[in-house]
Amino acid sequence: MAHPVDPSPPGHPGGASEGVCPITIFFDGKPISAQPGDTVASALYRCGVRIFSRSFKYHRPRGLLCGSGHCPNCLMTVDGIPNVRTCITRVHDGQKVRHQNATPSLENDWLSVSGFFSWLMPVGFYYKTFTHPLVWRGVEPLIRKVAGLGEVSPEPAADAGSESHPEHGSTGAGPAYAHIFWHTEVAVVGGGPAGLLAALQAARSGGRVVLIDDQPELGGHLRFQGKGRHSGEWVMPDGQDLSGLSGPDLARKMAEQVVKEPRIRVLQDSTCFGLYEGRLLGVLQKLAGGQRTANGSPSAGHSQALERLIYLRTQRLVVATGAYEALPLFENNDLPGVMLRSAAQRLAHLHGVQPGKRAVIVSEQADGGPVAADLKVAGVEIEAVIPRRELVSALGRKHIKGIRTTRGDLACDLLVLEGDRVPDAGLIAQAGGSLRWEEGQRAFLPGEMPPFVTVVGEAAGIQPNPEAPLPGPCSKKTFVCVCEDVTVKDLCDAVQEGFDHIQTLKRYSTVTMGPCQGRMCQLSSIAVCARQTGRAMEQTGTTTSRPPTLPISLGSLAGPRHHPVRRTPLHPCHEALGCTWMDMGDWKRPHHYPAPAAEPGASGHGATPAHTSTSHSHHLPTFVEAEYRAVRERVGIIDVSTLGRLDVRGKDAPKLLDKVYTNRLSDMKLGRVRHAALCDEAGILLDDGTVSRLAEDHYFITTSTGNIEFVQQWLEWWMAGAGWCVHVTNVTGGLAAVNVAGPKARETLAGLTGTSLETAAFPYMNCRQADVGGVPCLMLRIGFVGETGWELHFPAEYGEYLWDLVMKEGQPFGIGAFGVETQRLLRLEKKHVIVGVDTDATSNPMDADMAWVAKLDKEDFIGKAAILRFQARLATGQSERLVGFVMEDDSVPLDGSAVVHGGRPAGRVTSCRFSPSIGRGIGLAWIPSALAHAGRHFSIHVNGQLGQARVTFQPFYDPEGKRLRM
Amino acid sequence: MSFLIPCPNCGERSVYEFRFGAEVKSRPSAGSPSEDWLRYTYVKQNESGVQKEWWYHRMGCRQWFIAVRNTATNEVLSTSLPEEKPGGTSS
Repeated sequence: MAHPVDPSPPGHPGGASEGVCPITIFFDGKPISAQPGDTVASALYRCGVRIFSRSFKYHRPRGLLCGSGHCPNCLMTVDGIPNVRTCITRVHDGQKVRHQNATPSLENDWLSVSGFFSWLMPVGFYYKTFTHPLVWRGVEPLIRKVAGLGEVSPEPAADAGSESHPEHGSTGAGPAYAHIFWHTEVAVVGGGPAGLLAALQAARSGGRVVLIDDQPELGGHLRFQGKGRHSGEWVMPDGQDLSGLSGPDLARKMAEQVVKEPRIRVLQDSTCFGLYEGRLLGVLQKLAGGQRTANGSPSAGHSQALERLIYLRTQRLVVATGAYEALPLFENNDLPGVMLRSAAQRLAHLHGVQPGKRAVIVSEQADGGPVAADLKVAGVEIEAVIPRRELVSALGRKHIKGIRTTRGDLACDLLVLEGDRVPDAGLIAQAGGSLRWEEGQRAFLPGEMPPFVTVVGEAAGIQPNPEAPLPGPCSKKTFVCVCEDVTVKDLCDAVQEGFDHIQTLKRYSTVTMGPCQGRMCQLSSIAVCARQTGRAMEQTGTTTSRPPTLPISLGSLAGPRHHPVRRTPLHPCHEALGCTWMDMGDWKRPHHYPAPAAEPGASGHGATPAHTSTSHSHHLPTFVEAEYRAVRERVGIIDVSTLGRLDVRGKDAPKLLDKVYTNRLSDMKLGRVRHAALCDEAGILLDDGTVSRLAEDHYFITTSTGNIEFVQQWLEWWMAGAGWCVHVTNVTGGLAAVNVAGPKARETLAGLTGTSLETAAFPYMNCRQADVGGVPCLMLRIGFVGETGWELHFPAEYGEYLWDLVMKEGQPFGIGAFGVETQRLLRLEKKHVIVGVDTDATSNPMDADMAWVAKLDKEDFIGKAAILRFQARLATGQSERLVGFVMEDDSVPLDGSAVVHGGRPAGRVTSCRFSPSIGRGIGLAWIPSALAHAGRHFSIHVNGQLGQARVTFQPFYDPEGKRLRM
Repeated sequence: MSFLIPCPNCGERSVYEFRFGAEVKSRPSAGSPSEDWLRYTYVKQNESGVQKEWWYHRMGCRQWFIAVRNTATNEVLSTSLPEEKPGGTSS
């Protein structure tokens, strides 16, 4: 086991080495002690873990490779979250880490036998084999088991996180993911020296800056390099000369300046995963580590989130993403113990972990370059330094034991590679910048950039990469892509098969499509493609870079799942009655109230709304029966505050309404109410409701629940630019509303108002402004449910008061509250159509048997031309018609049942209920025009059989509407 | 889709604050031949390039306005409130 080289690794502004509280993490249930400042991977490595994962396809052992979050090798399940890059995830006490993709353990993975059957899985095998659907069905579960990465826990992430975060769990489940919207003048992506300098410069010139760094601490490569690429002059924007400092010291000094600068907001542990149109950056910030930077501390509402998605709008973007190392190609290049330089340096410098005992360094510099010095300080014996062209293969099965070179074998337990440096250009490509191949540097470098983007540091240019030979086309164990197990041979075979364009090669072989998004493999796959096709690198080109540049959790995109809920002013009254709620748009509405306790069987029917329209039911659910009888025999009250309400005023109001509504509304007398409908230009029914005329220039309009925003926008659209004097105001939220209906409705309300409710003084389809129980009300005498009744609209603040008052006043008459289910039944007995329930996006008033809403003698209105055409079509018998029907047998079809004609589906039932007044199932259905004659029979599919229905155009209850006018 | 729209009242805002209406077209006068109505109702230009559109600032000033947008790049070239003239632009 390795011993710490430097017991106090350099401290950084993030506070990595502050405090000495012991940290214990659990790896596959086994406690492992970690040090402050450790990542999960460094803690595991210190304890001797060398195999970190098993590969995607062949289950080959994989160890720490890049150590910087750029490769897929260290993915594990951390605190229940799969595919976490452990090499950039900080440890915290009690953290639960589990391996993935290996059974039973990483050391002994039964599925590694799949490596012996690699000949069965040639490139693109799933396009060639198992193509028969039956075969695929048999093989798919097996492939799912063998291939793939971590498994998503069925538990929500919030719960998974709370396992190890008592402070999160104890206060209940806060959202695991938060969304927040920020604006800034400058966004700097990358916390390395170039990014830090750019941020300081931007802040000095007065801009607000957000600095996004995906590492736990600022400083980039300076943090783990004793000396090397940063040698040279370092003069800060404020004139401070920092030249000559060691890497970690320089990083600390620069970070101090940045953190001190109030105009810079630092986001640590944050990945900028995409640049979208409108200069929008997607930034995912990990908060689970509990170490939040001072400047980027989350606001109170988000304190429990594990991850936060920041929608960052910026005016300027500085790309300082630096360069990463790509994996060189040689046989067994994926063996544990083969490590990129950055990983070895990070282990030694940041975590005080000895990466190995005996190392071979692959470097073009004879002395091995800075990494040799770093390894020596860490106590690693340097066996040899060889140039890349001499490296043939790595030897060993589960861990490297040596290497084969062109000059013989060497023994070692660590192979440190100086990989090709690749500018991290994902964001550059997404910004619309071009990438061109620079032969001198042997890299794709940014060319033309959009004006708001600046590229600095290694992302803009690198030290030349050495020219290295590519392995032959038969290299079966030379991995180009460690994410998807794609070898040099696979790529060569794919090119041979005709996938010789880099884009088709990518799609066919899945190279560059794994979790690392091409970081390890893009350059080498282009090189292999270029060689096999005899084209130049420039000609071969790059694959398209799209967001996300790094894998991000789906939960973070979904966000905190906030759903707006609207409650009516009468909500507490319904709650007191113990109603069963239903959702209607954003609204909560009482579906029904509990049945009176005296009646037997009440509990059996108090189930969910879905059960209320059971087929083959002679009887109504008890609760509906009770509510129904209250309205039909005595008096009922329902909360209709969810109706949309519009106040339309101005001298041109009649003109506007005549233009938009299908009816004529300009000739209404004051105090009258009319039923009115809206259509679009295609004659499709959009909404309906009542229009009341309160004054010459003042109308009060109701719309269906949930449709208010649309109707208001619709009215305003048609008056846009017209220069009319009219104001449309949405007053829905300010008004409560109840409908009091039934034979005793008049008696109930008469005791509360001085306004005469007698039909002579207050006839059907009239409105009055009246005082009811001291509350100013607009009373509409309308009859949706088919009984004498009034709809009362009044200020929301009197909601509960007036409800209680009416209930008290109605008690002697046997008043009962009724919910949406009973209301639906009552209106169905009156054959009232609900737009949006009985009609859809293809329904017009003519076919829906609502011709009376369209005043075709009006000069013009929206939809008139189309409605005229529909009228003409009625005669041709080519349309579908909405008709009422009565079942001839005892069945009650479910809503949505198919109408069957000539053995084929020919229509559908939109609403159907058992009608107590008829004693049969009644409903509305769209049927072929040919069947739409009163008394004609047609069939409805009910529970696997055909039930007979009879067409009717009359309301089922009180067809003459006498009760409404009493 | 995350482009910005300069609302004539509120300035540059995210497209998510807005609702798309339709392409700007002139409505046939009452009594126009059926063909005109059919074209007006059903035929969309769906330009790949610059077109005039109705937009509504849902989460802002709640005004309808006209935007000139390049549908291929989502660049909004200009926005303006509908011209106030008797009879209106849409009738």
